[in-house]
Amino acid sequence: MSGTRMPEEPVDDGSAVGASVAPVGRAILAACRVVGGMSVLQWRIVRSMLSPRAFDYDETVRQLFKVGWLSVGVVVATALFVGALMVISSGNFVKATGATSIVGWAAGTAVFSEVGPVLIGLMFSGRVGANNTAELGTMVITDQVDALRVLGIDPIAYLVVPRFLAMIVMLVLLTCIGDIFALIGGAIACQAVLGIDMRIYWHGVLESHLLDEFAMGLVKGFFFGGGISIVSCHWGLRVSGGAQGVGRAVNNSVVTAAIAIFVVNFFVTVLWT
Amino acid sequence: MNARATQLRAPFVLLGATVRALPSVRRSYRRVVESMFVVGNQSVVFIAVTLAFLGLILVYQGAYQAQKVLPDLSQVGMIFIGTMVRTFGPTIVALMLATRVGAGIAAELGSMVVTDQVEAMKVTNTDPVEYLVVPRFVASLLMTVVLWVFGVLVAVFAGTLMGTMRFGIQLGTFLSLAGTQPADVGVGLLKCVAFGIAIPILSAESGFRASGGSEGVGWATTRAVVNSSFAVIVLDFLISTLAYVAGW
Repeated sequence: MSGTRMPEEPVDDGSAVGASVAPVGRAILAACRVVGGMSVLQWRIVRSMLSPRAFDYDETVRQLFKVGWLSVGVVVATALFVGALMVISSGNFVKATGATSIVGWAAGTAVFSEVGPVLIGLMFSGRVGANNTAELGTMVITDQVDALRVLGIDPIAYLVVPRFLAMIVMLVLLTCIGDIFALIGGAIACQAVLGIDMRIYWHGVLESHLLDEFAMGLVKGFFFGGGISIVSCHWGLRVSGGAQGVGRAVNNSVVTAAIAIFVVNFFVTVLWT
Repeated sequence: MNARATQLRAPFVLLGATVRALPSVRRSYRRVVESMFVVGNQSVVFIAVTLAFLGLILVYQGAYQAQKVLPDLSQVGMIFIGTMVRTFGPTIVALMLATRVGAGIAAELGSMVVTDQVEAMKVTNTDPVEYLVVPRFVASLLMTVVLWVFGVLVAVFAGTLMGTMRFGIQLGTFLSLAGTQPADVGVGLLKCVAFGIAIPILSAESGFRASGGSEGVGWATTRAVVNSSFAVIVLDFLISTLAYVAGW
């Protein structure tokens, strides 16, 4: 098997222009379908939340617990390393200029405003978003979502709205927790790797008045949580084609969520400052 | 506890098996090229979009923060390009590859496992590591480095647009390599190699551990993303610490 050589595929020269443009068109159409589908889903979530007897309280509490429990470990661990990484990255500048007081300010600003929310969001998407797509996808494939419809239960109100709320609440909380652990990681790295007294670092963090940056990070957590839940529910509910379909849906979900995180991050920062 | 230890050891066992099977790559040259095409083709647009936004935001934040303390912004471009090459380029490209390529590998191998295709290979005396893992391993190792260069170029392009058009920095001043030492390129390259090894191994390992139908494939894919993303961050920390202590 490993030694076989396939003959070269014949190339159709007649439609060379069409063949080179077609993938671009297909990609644009696919992107439009994804964005459109997610917008519709967002609209249905809002409508479902506005209607009386909006959401399933028990399911929301279950989701809150599950989302938080799934991701708190990986978020805390990531945050510790990311904070350390930010301090070490500023190490060479500090060594060159001798300005040790800048470490706390640099690490604090970077963690609170950009690096913290984005990396926590990415890990959250990998852990909770992917898990959610896999779960909903399996439900679709085993006809459980159709069974809900037969029972007269709206899948949006019962499955999607609780996840939407749970992810928003939990990602804001996790951004809070993650920021704190990132600062702790930075403090440890400051003392252990850079050899600068931890007190100088904490002083720098506290003196820089980073409340504005911290608040912006939480706003980002809010939007990332909403975005990740919509993306992951969208892909999960559209699964088709067995085990392979679920794998592909999870893959698409994390990729779309990553793009959403970077794009939303940019716009929140620009609009905030 | 014992199960935990086996779980932690499994990627290293697979890495060892992959390295031992590495000489077979000469025979499967074609599959490596196919794999490289898949890795590159899957992720080039994705990396272009995310790294462009990263470049925009880093320059925006850098210039915005610098404006508060310094009157001139002449250093922003220099520092931006240096940190892009050394820190943000490798890390973000690798995190994107972990979500795109890592999840892809786990989904593919996981569906092969649950449909017994891997068992069938063993029956026909084909080594799954040699046939499935080695080409993906070599391909993602090479493509991580290629996409790092590509990603840094895209980010610098986007960052230059932001720096010159929004903050009015001169193009010549902005595009300065004064902040990029050969050591920065070396550290970035070292990181890319480490990430390029970790991502396919961890993802293939979670793909092989998939069990139980479509649900199992979903979990395997999730696990691949989380494990390889986390490995990227830990390796990044270790290499950065090593580089700082060694004075690179």
